[in-house]
Amino acid sequence: MTRERGISYARVATLLLAIVVALFPFWWMLVTSFKQPVDIFKGVSLVPQHPTGDNYNRLFSNYHMGDFLVNSLIVVTVAVAVSLVLGTLAAYALARYRLRFHLNESALVVSLLVRTLPAILLVIPLYLTLSKAGLLNTRLGLIIIYTGLNTSFVIWMMQSFLEEIPKEIEEAAMVDGDSRLRALRRVVLPLAGPGLAATAIFSVIVTYNDFLLALTVTSTPSAQTVPVGVSTLIGKIQIEWGPMAAAGVVGALPIMIFAILVQRHFVRGLTLGAVK
Amino acid sequence: MATPSVAVPRRGRRRSDFWARVLASPWLLLTPAALALAAVALYPLVYGIRASFHKYRYGRDVGSAGFENYKDVFQDHTFWTAMGTTAKYVALAVSVETLLGLGLALLVSNQLRFSRFFRVTLILPMTIAPVVVGVIWRLMYASDIGVVNPLFNAFGLSDPNVLANPGSAFLGVVVVDIWEWTPLLFLIILAGLQSLPQEPLEAARVDGAGPVRVFFDHTLPLLRPVLMVAVVLRLIDAIGTFDQIFVLTKGGPGTATQLISTYSYNTAFLFTQYGRAMAMVVSLLVLVLILMVVAIRYMRSAAMRTAS
Repeated sequence: MTRERGISYARVATLLLAIVVALFPFWWMLVTSFKQPVDIFKGVSLVPQHPTGDNYNRLFSNYHMGDFLVNSLIVVTVAVAVSLVLGTLAAYALARYRLRFHLNESALVVSLLVRTLPAILLVIPLYLTLSKAGLLNTRLGLIIIYTGLNTSFVIWMMQSFLEEIPKEIEEAAMVDGDSRLRALRRVVLPLAGPGLAATAIFSVIVTYNDFLLALTVTSTPSAQTVPVGVSTLIGKIQIEWGPMAAAGVVGALPIMIFAILVQRHFVRGLTLGAVK
Repeated sequence: MATPSVAVPRRGRRRSDFWARVLASPWLLLTPAALALAAVALYPLVYGIRASFHKYRYGRDVGSAGFENYKDVFQDHTFWTAMGTTAKYVALAVSVETLLGLGLALLVSNQLRFSRFFRVTLILPMTIAPVVVGVIWRLMYASDIGVVNPLFNAFGLSDPNVLANPGSAFLGVVVVDIWEWTPLLFLIILAGLQSLPQEPLEAARVDGAGPVRVFFDHTLPLLRPVLMVAVVLRLIDAIGTFDQIFVLTKGGPGTATQLISTYSYNTAFLFTQYGRAMAMVVSLLVLVLILMVVAIRYMRSAAMRTAS
């Protein structure tokens, strides 16, 4: 009896330790972002001695954080919206029609490949192509890249969600006199709604977080996104720790909120539907 | 099953005709997505492979170079160092992440009351941008304002100045990777554990098998497909690690944390040797493709296993 209780205490202690390790670095960034410059250098203090919002002020007035946020907002919104439409249409075809030449299978494999290819494999040719097209350092260039890459993810996810909706429900609606279009709108889309929402939020997270592609094809605050903006605060000879911490907080916050919203679907998104 | 009956407003007949025709033809549905994928993935890949056979001078394509780039790359000492560092980095990080993730998942899996809470808190490190992860650990490791040096001092050890010395810098970036990605393994393995059939495990317990025996003889074999999906996907991703390294060390000090991704990035964008950089990248691509074939095989069997 006592041995079992000992084990369960040990388990709780281990899990608490894991949580501290996972969360403390976030806390340290948050604390640093609210400290005054002198206090930052005054040794370890787990709360700001004289809390100030000055780092955030400087971040937005001197370091273009507002521009970065606007660029991210525009690029992510447009790219995710367009890729959701393209990807869902394709996923519908793959889930509902048996195509010739085993195309259902190979289309899914291709979108998996595109999705999992490390960005470093694509970044050089994408840079050269955008440069030839005169789209370097534009939001449009970024939108095109992210739309294409994200479409592969949407296809993979939505295919797995749509396949779970029994064909029969849709066919029953069509027997009742609905056109395929009406059946899609009245039956399929409402049922696929949660999956579509999860896919959308996932796409937002991945697109917003991208660094390497944006770093390479943009060069000024007129097109740079938040992660690139955050990194520009580091390249200087002297690191501005306060604004850098503040930039980290601003960069992380929206995504953490989104992540908590979709945590139920997280595993599915991460394994591209292989594990539910 | 109740289907919400939404009153569909009557729009122009022609418009719904258009959509009806699109929906009736799988080819029309697939074409836009196929074009998008071709534009940003297929074309760049082909273009990139072609570039690896071309010579670039000051960033300009000056004609075909045969296998010259590949020869240069394979004779380049720094390339092999970067390959070796990448291999060490990936092997160390992914194996520790798998063990930790498995351990944590086992701890949480039958702790149903709090498992939701643990899931939400433990996954936070992997949700944020890797760049921000880099910023966070710059703040942790910094020798003047960080907490890692004081922590070592508290245990009577001298300042490690993690990112300043080659050996500790390598371990330092691996620790960051482990912090960031253990949650991924944890989360996928946890989902796998919770979808396992309970009967064989129960039966083994009734037969008197201890928890260790049950784990190795029953849980682990059943978990294998899910575990493999998680590990292989993580492997592919780890091979391309770039962002945190760029923010933390830029590959230094010296070449201690130079991965193949940062090396090819520098070759392309600092030295404008696009052809050479692509030759490196294509060599890497071969490796990644092999891993992907493995990944797809395991994803199928995992999908079958967890579908019920």
